[in-house]
Amino acid sequence: MPGTAALAIAAVVAVVMMIIIFKMIWRVAEPNEALIISGLGAKAHNRDTAESLGFKIVTGKGVSVLPGFQTCRRLSLDTRASDLDVNCVTKQGIRVHVKGVVIYKVGDDFSSIANAARRFLDQQKLMDDKTHQLFAGHLRSIIGHLTVEDLIHNREGLTNEVRTSSANEMGKLGLVVDSLQIQEIEDESGYIMNLGRPHAAAVAAAARIAEAGRNQEATVAEQTAEQQNAGQIRDTQIKKAEYQGQVDQAAAEARQQVILKETRNAELEAERTERRLESEIRKPADARAYEQVTLAQAEREERISYAQAAATETQLKAEREAEATRIIGEAQADATRKKGLAEAEAIKARADALAQNQEAVIAQQLAEQWPQIVEAGAKVFGNVDNMVVLNGADGLEDMLAKALTLGGTGLGLARSLLSNMNGQQPAPTSNGTPPAPVSVETVEAVVEAKTDPTDK
Amino acid sequence: MVGRQGRVTGKIGPGLVGEVMISIRGGVEAFYAHAVDPRDEIPVGSMVVVVEYSPPRTVYVAPTSI
Repeated sequence: MPGTAALAIAAVVAVVMMIIIFKMIWRVAEPNEALIISGLGAKAHNRDTAESLGFKIVTGKGVSVLPGFQTCRRLSLDTRASDLDVNCVTKQGIRVHVKGVVIYKVGDDFSSIANAARRFLDQQKLMDDKTHQLFAGHLRSIIGHLTVEDLIHNREGLTNEVRTSSANEMGKLGLVVDSLQIQEIEDESGYIMNLGRPHAAAVAAAARIAEAGRNQEATVAEQTAEQQNAGQIRDTQIKKAEYQGQVDQAAAEARQQVILKETRNAELEAERTERRLESEIRKPADARAYEQVTLAQAEREERISYAQAAATETQLKAEREAEATRIIGEAQADATRKKGLAEAEAIKARADALAQNQEAVIAQQLAEQWPQIVEAGAKVFGNVDNMVVLNGADGLEDMLAKALTLGGTGLGLARSLLSNMNGQQPAPTSNGTPPAPVSVETVEAVVEAKTDPTDK
Repeated sequence: MVGRQGRVTGKIGPGLVGEVMISIRGGVEAFYAHAVDPRDEIPVGSMVVVVEYSPPRTVYVAPTSI
């Protein structure tokens, strides 16, 4: 058993060892790469280039590589791209700035792979830079053979130029140009922009012309439609007005008939009213007026008669009254004159008597006026506030007696007292002249003044 | 390679380097093409036959009569 286990382990180890060795010596080419094998015995299988090549090219299959005797390198056959950015001059001498991209790869045939392997095998990372420099120069020459218009429009011409100028050099390098694309052309002189302007202007003009034309057609159509509409509207309105006029005319005629009838009715009504008023108001009013006129005339005549009678009566009455007044006045005047004469005689007689016995008259007058005199004497004491009578009642009597005797003795004093009491009464000394007699003429004048209103 | 048919994708003519697409190695590859008779002009789209192969990428073609 231990022998079999050791054998199994040895077998496993041997298998592992074999796998490791196989991995070390067996190489497989991926579809996008080529194996470049150089070294011992690596020249026998290439049909085309066997004589000159010192290495073997394998694509698409596996191959054994003897470690230590052979080396195996891989060359990528992938597509590569290189950006181009060059300033160049076209065939017409116009300076342009071109940006483009070139897409290339290593050729699939052994010749191309061999050429490329000999040039780039250690510098595959630098292939883009070299290609860029190469193609920059080629692009300058390509664009120098073309015009701007060709650059823009003539793709066939461009690819043709690319092939013509680069075929040999790319063959030397073992590269194949799949595509060259110009991405952008910058034109400092405005040439490209000006190229497009005539066409743009023409297109714009055509667009404007077409737009204007269509607008015009649309406007014409609109206006025509509007005209037709307006015509229709006008006709309709004319018809409407016509019919309306007829309707109005008929209505007016009917109205006229009605008005005629109404007028006739109103006339008849007015006539009727007039007749009625005439019979109800005018005739009675005439009768009343006649009545009143007649009554007024009668009244006037009556009043005239009354007035005449009253005037006659008044006249007669006044005459009578005047007569009576005149008679009364004459009688009164006569009486007054006789009375005045009698008074004058009395005064004259009195004056005579005074002239003869003045003292008696005075005494008489004193006797008549005694109480007033005594009163005046008392007033003398009235002016004294406090009278002191020295010898009693006898004293008072004495003093009064003296005062009275004083009055009795002094006639002059008495006269003055009298004159003071009588006021305007003339002094007795002047009583001898009689008062002025009232003339008969004045009495008559008074009588006339009294009777005057009645006369008139 | 010689005797294969191809399709012209770049005009072949005097002073021009044309291009033909030829089916080879399971794929289609583009080769630079010249006419066998230098005066021929072969337009794009014509079918040609490879008369001669010049490695690495150049063929000389003649238009097929078909």
